[in-house]
Amino acid sequence: MENEKYNILLVDDDVDLCALLGEFLEGDGFTVDTLHSGDKAVDTLLNTNKYDTVVLDIMMPGMSGLDVLRTVRAKKQTPILMLTGRGDDIDRIVGLEIGADDYLPKPCNPRELGARIRAIIRRTQQLKSAAVVHTELHGIVLDTGARTATVNKEVLTLTGAEFNALSLLMERAGQTITKQDMTQEVLNRPLEAYDRAMDVHVSRIRQKLSAVGVIDVIKSVRGVGYQMLTTPQPQEQ
Amino acid sequence: MRVNAVWQNIRQSLGFKRLFWHIFLTFWVASLAVMAATGYVLVNEYASNENNQRFLNLVTSQAERIVWRYEHETLVSGTAKRKIKDWIQQRENRRGELLPMLILDANGKTVFHYRMNKVPPEQRSEQQVYGPSNAQYSVFVHRPQAPHILKQVLYRFQSLQFVFIFIASALVSALLSWTIVKPIKYLGAFSRKYANEQTISSLPSPMLNRGDELGDLATDINFMVSKTHEAASAQQRLLHDVSHELRAPLARLQASAAIIEQKQPDNRHVKQIHNDCHRIDQLIQQILNFSTLENTMPEPKQCELLALCERILDDMAVNYPGIPTTLTPPKGGAQQSLIMCFPEAVHQALDNIIGNACKYSNKGESVDVTIEPLHDNVVIRVRDHGPGVNKDEIEKLLQPFYRAGNQMHTQGFGLGLSIALKAIHKHGGQLHMTSPSDGGLSVEVTLPKNVAPRD
Repeated sequence: MENEKYNILLVDDDVDLCALLGEFLEGDGFTVDTLHSGDKAVDTLLNTNKYDTVVLDIMMPGMSGLDVLRTVRAKKQTPILMLTGRGDDIDRIVGLEIGADDYLPKPCNPRELGARIRAIIRRTQQLKSAAVVHTELHGIVLDTGARTATVNKEVLTLTGAEFNALSLLMERAGQTITKQDMTQEVLNRPLEAYDRAMDVHVSRIRQKLSAVGVIDVIKSVRGVGYQMLTTPQPQEQ
Repeated sequence: MRVNAVWQNIRQSLGFKRLFWHIFLTFWVASLAVMAATGYVLVNEYASNENNQRFLNLVTSQAERIVWRYEHETLVSGTAKRKIKDWIQQRENRRGELLPMLILDANGKTVFHYRMNKVPPEQRSEQQVYGPSNAQYSVFVHRPQAPHILKQVLYRFQSLQFVFIFIASALVSALLSWTIVKPIKYLGAFSRKYANEQTISSLPSPMLNRGDELGDLATDINFMVSKTHEAASAQQRLLHDVSHELRAPLARLQASAAIIEQKQPDNRHVKQIHNDCHRIDQLIQQILNFSTLENTMPEPKQCELLALCERILDDMAVNYPGIPTTLTPPKGGAQQSLIMCFPEAVHQALDNIIGNACKYSNKGESVDVTIEPLHDNVVIRVRDHGPGVNKDEIEKLLQPFYRAGNQMHTQGFGLGLSIALKAIHKHGGQLHMTSPSDGGLSVEVTLPKNVAPRD
């Protein structure tokens, strides 16, 4: 894995910061390209599958990071890590809801950025190499080989993180999985304070499942985590 | 009880200290005084002449009646004096008016004498009357005295005319007062509305085009509001821009430090740079939070405090793994903790308060959070068992950048509680801190169930 060069695209309007982060990430063993505007990022991402991960700044003049994310997600599943302003809870959640794979508040320690990128890549790689497993519960059919989830032959569009979360929950149906464990296994990183990533992913999965008629199968265990129920039961909330 | 309340209401809404009453009473009293003065002058002029005349007429008629009776009696029996005394007695008994009077006949013999002993000669005035026999008599009376002027004036004011004037002047004063006070009140309401809602709107043009001093005032207020609005939004923009601009170089600084670290992994100065970058970043965030609370008025939303506290405690469990926490939900479940509020502000406030409690606790000392509905409020109590705070320091804790015992070495900037206080005040709530006898610190937050923004 160390020898393999992963391609990273950095999109930030701060040219100097891009250069510095690029230098750092190259020192970490990545191949880095940089772009400084949203429009160019959209053009590039729609025309190539070259990048393993995209690091996208939310605050950019012109086309914002969220706009880029929305446009790209409509066509491609390239993993995207959002850089958000600290304290902007809404931006983070919106980013995750639109389909970002993870977020990192900016300014951040570049080491943390490197770790997050590696986590995303590892996750994608694992999924590519994982043994093909078919799981079925509550009418949801998971195909980890093709990375598809279907309910009554209807295909659910899930992002990478959502798919991972759903497959983890189904794999351990009947057990409560702590948020710490879920974050570690789904996002390949430890849970942090003010970390809503897992909650957003689970709530997106619930929404998508209820849209095809599967309701009350994922239970929130207050203060602990989530559980895939073996038999559906209404939530108290 | 009810009547009392209604009266209180009336008193409050009328507000006897108000400008309206000042102007009204001043004008009314002034107009009444002018009328009284005019009355005084007129009455004075008239009264002296008219009064004298009336007095002399009275004197003449009384004297003539006495003289007539005197002549009549003497002609009949020659013992008139006694009869006249009886007559006086009679008149007095019937409460008739009898003027003090001395009547002498042509020979200087006293015909009639009634209460004239005490009147000195220089205060007497003399008059001549003629009896039926054409004999001449001298009549002495007290010189006519002008009656008490106030009596005169009041006498005149006891008329319907005056009641009319009284009411009319009251009406005119009230109208005048109202025309002055109404636009002032309107302007006050306008600026209050601006202060509360922070939305800019212009004053109506009839107000601006009055052309008088109030019109000028309206124009000035309009100008001031637009200037204030500009300044406030400029400040917001500035803070936003500055924070953004500060963060960009901070991010570059961190990146540079990371590159140095990559090349010299054991450089301790780089670690220092990373720590300080993190600190500056937090400070920028807190200042931004502080100013956002001050300058924005979002829509109130429904928020379940219990779920919010649970989330905050989850975050604390990650940040302060050694501190056990407990949460006591209100009796009756989550429904009891449902309030209308500005959720982000409440989150910030509780996060800062609970975060502080955890920060100042030692490993193993628990932080307890209790939620309790109380009338129209919800009370959230955060209790820690840490070192606590001196009584005289408690108030100071709420000042920005103050830290108890000057613990400059601990994390943070002393902004947390000021932010919490600001957020709570924004809801019309309260924050109280007490040092329980068994140590630690107890922070009690009272939030209304329905947000009532401050004025």
